[in-house]
Amino acid sequence: MTSADTKPQDSPYALWQQTVSARYRDQSFVARNRSGVEVDPVYGGLDRHGKEAEMPGQYPYTRGIYPIHYQFQPWMDLQIIGFGLPSQTRERMDLLLEQGGSKGYFDREAYNFIFDMPTSMGYDPDHPGVRGSIGDCGISVCKASDYEVLLAGKDLAKTTVSMVLNAGSPAMLGLYLAAAKRRGFAFDKLGGNLTNYIWDFFGHSGGTNFSPRGSYRLIADIASYCAEHVPLWNPLTISEHNICEAGATNVQAVAYSIAAIIAVNEECVKLGIDPDIVVPRFGFHVRYGENFFEEVAKTRALRRVYAKVNRERFGCKKNSSLQARIHAQTAGSLLTAQQPLNNLVRNAYGALAAVLSGANGMTINAYDEALGLPTEEAVTLSLRTSQIIAEETGAVHVSDPFGGSYYVESLTDDIERRVFEIIADIDDRGGLIACIESGWIKQQVSAAAYQWRQEIESGARTMVGVNKYTTDEPEQFAVFQPDPEAARMAIADVERHRLERDAARCAEALEDLRRAAVEVNEGRAIGSVMANLVGAAEADATLGEMQAILHEVFGRNK
Amino acid sequence: MQDSAPKPRVLLTKSFIDSHDRAIATIALALRDAAMEVVLIDYEQPEDVVTVALQEDVDIIGLSFMSGGQVETTEKIVAELQRRDVPDLPVVVGGVIRPFDVAPLEAVGVREIFRGGAPLADVVATFDRLARAYRSRV
Repeated sequence: MTSADTKPQDSPYALWQQTVSARYRDQSFVARNRSGVEVDPVYGGLDRHGKEAEMPGQYPYTRGIYPIHYQFQPWMDLQIIGFGLPSQTRERMDLLLEQGGSKGYFDREAYNFIFDMPTSMGYDPDHPGVRGSIGDCGISVCKASDYEVLLAGKDLAKTTVSMVLNAGSPAMLGLYLAAAKRRGFAFDKLGGNLTNYIWDFFGHSGGTNFSPRGSYRLIADIASYCAEHVPLWNPLTISEHNICEAGATNVQAVAYSIAAIIAVNEECVKLGIDPDIVVPRFGFHVRYGENFFEEVAKTRALRRVYAKVNRERFGCKKNSSLQARIHAQTAGSLLTAQQPLNNLVRNAYGALAAVLSGANGMTINAYDEALGLPTEEAVTLSLRTSQIIAEETGAVHVSDPFGGSYYVESLTDDIERRVFEIIADIDDRGGLIACIESGWIKQQVSAAAYQWRQEIESGARTMVGVNKYTTDEPEQFAVFQPDPEAARMAIADVERHRLERDAARCAEALEDLRRAAVEVNEGRAIGSVMANLVGAAEADATLGEMQAILHEVFGRNK
Repeated sequence: MQDSAPKPRVLLTKSFIDSHDRAIATIALALRDAAMEVVLIDYEQPEDVVTVALQEDVDIIGLSFMSGGQVETTEKIVAELQRRDVPDLPVVVGGVIRPFDVAPLEAVGVREIFRGGAPLADVVATFDRLARAYRSRV
């Protein structure tokens, strides 16, 4: 199975075999299908140019980052969870665990927390502009002690905590680390993920996000702190998903995601941080559900472009700097309020595309999310969808099953080429930060969103139940109703917290944070903002108080 | 025949903490394509919406909610419209509007509710009709 110019022992297939036997010794990953036919964990052959094809786990990782993937370690199911008060979310967590969810890697428990919009943006529940949104669509968290309720009794050294939020990200990590410290957990045992969507080019959230320049400086600070003190923590997720959800095409979303990595890396290099120290902990959040084959191809292209950019443009040498880890999420914007059960089917196809792409983690949305916050029944069905794909369909037996497909390979190359063209365009326009500041990126995304909508209007694009196969019958579905008392209780709680804490100690810690922020903003003492966020959170400062200081120093988006 | 009536002026707005702006940005483009003047802002306080509506002399306000605040915020805005003596300025609401939001929204006089999947043509026609009716009020 080698072409004439490749020596058998150096061929990708031979190298893959050597890696697998060195890593997994005699373990067999051969599966047997219904008819008793043996199925190899991966298939090789010649690529489109007649050379022996790259194998999974080999640069540039088109076919996946591991030589053996789901056959050894299935994806991590991270259903989004969070509403109301920490105590209310904790009840839902316990239910999910009971249902067989919340499974992380290596027997860890894993939770994917989503916060209400005030928390997500870094505001406390008693901020005057946020009434009506407290505990709605996410948990309200504003102080370290909230984690003591949310994660009471959990062994944090065996719990993976993923936090989905925007501008509030830096201060939120401070709260979590402070809570872990109080409970006596060493930082080098803590695993988790911070989305850190603190800049703004995919969505609205204009003035609550940090200025683009301030955002990238803060990301460098957090990444550098985590690399040194919380080495198992992933401090940055680039959300291809959010860019798509805001309306971008797949090609645009991959290109802007890579452009974001380039901007982060350039910031690190400017500050004297070796990308190889921080990049291995960066990851992606990718959206699935719009076009099955395009999404498989975009994932393969994303992994390839990421590897090439980090190696060729930034000189990264570590393999882990070249391997794009991908958390998949099905497409929320494709969920329809009309005939909502159809969304179960949409989600299943999206999730299957993610699995056939070799995604590492999975969030399957609930079918009723276009109606409101998910019900328990809907959340359970999402988990079952993942379990059916993993344990019934056989999709996990072979890595990169589309590798070698004329269609998918050609589409992968095409997406790669178009992505590099957009990156070159962004470079010509002065880089991503300049493109965010000028409004160019936003304009591109909105134009793509509007075009998509017009295709729906004209019928050129079908949405079943919306512009085709519609029904007039009124449909009755249970809709989750958040607890209206949650807001009152959250406000009373934070007010009591402010009265009971050591005010002098808290004020001093916030002053230290301000000094560190000013230094970091001037390009010195990188990592000290994160260190002082932990310090301030330990001294009972709230999310909103820390955020106000960061906003003041790093600037708000216009 | 050329339409000599002034273009409808529209204020589209959503909360500063709600990052889901795909729908409102799309509606803004659709209304502009239909020759309306669109002001698109996010507000920190519900009352700010009314201040901007008066400054910009708009004929209609469109509120988008994707992540909470549907009823409480709308009630505050309507109360402020009454306090500032423009109780008839029409308000329409769009986004994730749950069944239990509808009655209180209708009770405060919201003229129309649009959920995801509503045809853009209907949205545009509704804004146009309500805005022109408001402008030509006695």
